[in-house]
Amino acid sequence: MTENVVVTAALGAQGVRRAFGVVQAVVNANLTVPPGTVTALIGPNGCGKTTLMLMLAGLLKPDAGTITVAGKDPLTDGPAARSHVGWMPDALGTWDSLTCVETLTTFGRAYGIPPAEARDRAFSLLERVHLAELAAQPARVLSRGQKQRLSLARALVHGPRVLILDEPASGLDPRSRVELRELVRELAAEGTAVLVSSHVLSELDEMVDDAVFMSKGVTLGDSADALVAAARQRWRAVARPGTDLHAALSALARDWSPAVESDVSQALVQVTDEDDAADLLSALVAGGARVSAFGPVGSALEQVYLTMEEERR
Amino acid sequence: MTDTLVVRPEPKAGRGTWRISWRGVRLITELELKQRVRSTKWKWALAAFVALVGVVTLLLSGAMNMLFGVGDGGGSDDYDVLFGVVVFFVLGLGLLVSPTLSATSINGDSKEGTLAPLQATALSSVDIVIGKLVGAWVASLAFLAVSMPFIIFAFVLSDAPAFAVLTTVLVLAIELLVVCAIGLGWSAVTARTPASAVLTYVTVACLTVISLILFGLTYPLVTQPTTFRVYDAVTYDDVTGNATECYFREETWEQAHTERTWWLLAMNPFVIVADAAPSNDDLVEPDYGYSGYSNQTMLGSIKYSVREARLGPRTVENWCYTGEAQELLPEEVKRLEQLQSLSPIWPYGLAFHALLAGGALWLAVRRVDVPHGKLATGTRVA
Repeated sequence: MTENVVVTAALGAQGVRRAFGVVQAVVNANLTVPPGTVTALIGPNGCGKTTLMLMLAGLLKPDAGTITVAGKDPLTDGPAARSHVGWMPDALGTWDSLTCVETLTTFGRAYGIPPAEARDRAFSLLERVHLAELAAQPARVLSRGQKQRLSLARALVHGPRVLILDEPASGLDPRSRVELRELVRELAAEGTAVLVSSHVLSELDEMVDDAVFMSKGVTLGDSADALVAAARQRWRAVARPGTDLHAALSALARDWSPAVESDVSQALVQVTDEDDAADLLSALVAGGARVSAFGPVGSALEQVYLTMEEERR
Repeated sequence: MTDTLVVRPEPKAGRGTWRISWRGVRLITELELKQRVRSTKWKWALAAFVALVGVVTLLLSGAMNMLFGVGDGGGSDDYDVLFGVVVFFVLGLGLLVSPTLSATSINGDSKEGTLAPLQATALSSVDIVIGKLVGAWVASLAFLAVSMPFIIFAFVLSDAPAFAVLTTVLVLAIELLVVCAIGLGWSAVTARTPASAVLTYVTVACLTVISLILFGLTYPLVTQPTTFRVYDAVTYDDVTGNATECYFREETWEQAHTERTWWLLAMNPFVIVADAAPSNDDLVEPDYGYSGYSNQTMLGSIKYSVREARLGPRTVENWCYTGEAQELLPEEVKRLEQLQSLSPIWPYGLAFHALLAGGALWLAVRRVDVPHGKLATGTRVA
């Protein structure tokens, strides 16, 4: 589906910078989201994620740098670029007197979809975000999580090629979070390029293909990627008490570190890939270690994030 | 679920700030009105408006009935005052209500987080601003519509010229549009809704009251010794005290040269309405001179007072009362002709208002336009 180079990045930012008065919100942001993939935008509060997303959605002018959305420049070709982007803001805004269907229909029409078609799409999207039974309810009766889902449906109303989700999971119950994750993967499978920011990093782990870390307005490129790759290769092994895993791992010449201070039955170990992990496990078991748990350490993104945070301090 | 591929023509290239689409304007207007009509406050506001205008109209017509009596043939002149007062009352209330409909339209939405999602769509900023303007205007026209029965009631009682009611209502509608536009402009340039509401009211007050006060306060500034001719009596009839012989003499008095400040009055919505309304125009000669324009309607006398102010001080005064039907002096006839040939001032007023409204809308479009360049202090995009 990508016969020319321009389209390979559905969403791209190079050297993007933006200040508000004296505050440099975004200093240097670079990212690329190819079609059909999900990229996470991760960083502490106030690192410039939302500002960057506003620029990508065509709402804010960058002071420098270039942005492309589906091959269009939001600066010179605003309406065309905006019509390819679905943007879900972090701030909840709902038209209190409008019903859910009306809200979505209005937005469909705002993108130039004929009213009847917009209405059909509104209903099918409400099904998709599980709000169908609230279709005729005014938005003011919705709970925070339901509003969040309506907001997501609103971002999808024109079938955008690029989807920008700012904290979509906040306020969602666990079930809705799983559904959000599935929906985002479905959309990516349909060819949408998705950029998503969230603080729930363990969830992003399962949702995203790539991650862009951001700190103090700067996107961390390769250095963070390397950290993520390393984190993905870190596995945790837990054995029954009485087994000295540390000794066993040293004997196998593995790069390991203690998981819990002075507890020899637990360890973190570097593996190169899943085959390597399987080899290690069988070697450990063959060596008589009574291993009870063996798997990747929690969230790779979370680990990197916390490492970064530590560096910051 | 499989999604049908939505294939739509992309909006045309270019930034499209000033591109206006009928579809987009209608969409925003509908959105504004739906939001408004469904709030219960709106119905109560309309009801209160009707009640207020109705009570004032009925009480006033009752009072006139008591004072002047009806059916004695000469009552219609007095009912002209009723027509004038009702029109002014509706205008005054309209000027109070319209700012509430538009003055928080943009910064309010921005605060609620409902503006940015719209800006992020393919709609242009002109679509959004004009849509909001039309929405607010239609809402304020509803107030005008519900007071129509009372305006027509007063009009029927009066003997105002046939087109008076049409022109008056048309000018009222235009004035409401101007106020809506001004409110929208303020709501775009200020971050906080109370600020924009106050600024809109201050603007309306400037146009209506403060301009009038300024006109009064500038009197000393434009007052200077001016020589004019007085036609005064030298001999009187012993019995009647009427003049029997008059002659001209020159006098120099301090006179206000309002021909320099009349424009302060021209920007007043009330003056514009009065000036635009056809009055029983023909200032007949005996009505001029001493008695001014006592036979004029209320709106008519405002019209001629303002036009008189535009001419500046008189050059001749006729103090020669002979008791017979007063003949106008040649100079008075000339001034009367000047007065009648003076072009109406409402086009000046409306042109100024159109300039204000246009400027406000231009500002609003600039502020709503995305991508945002410099953000106003205290605002955020979303």
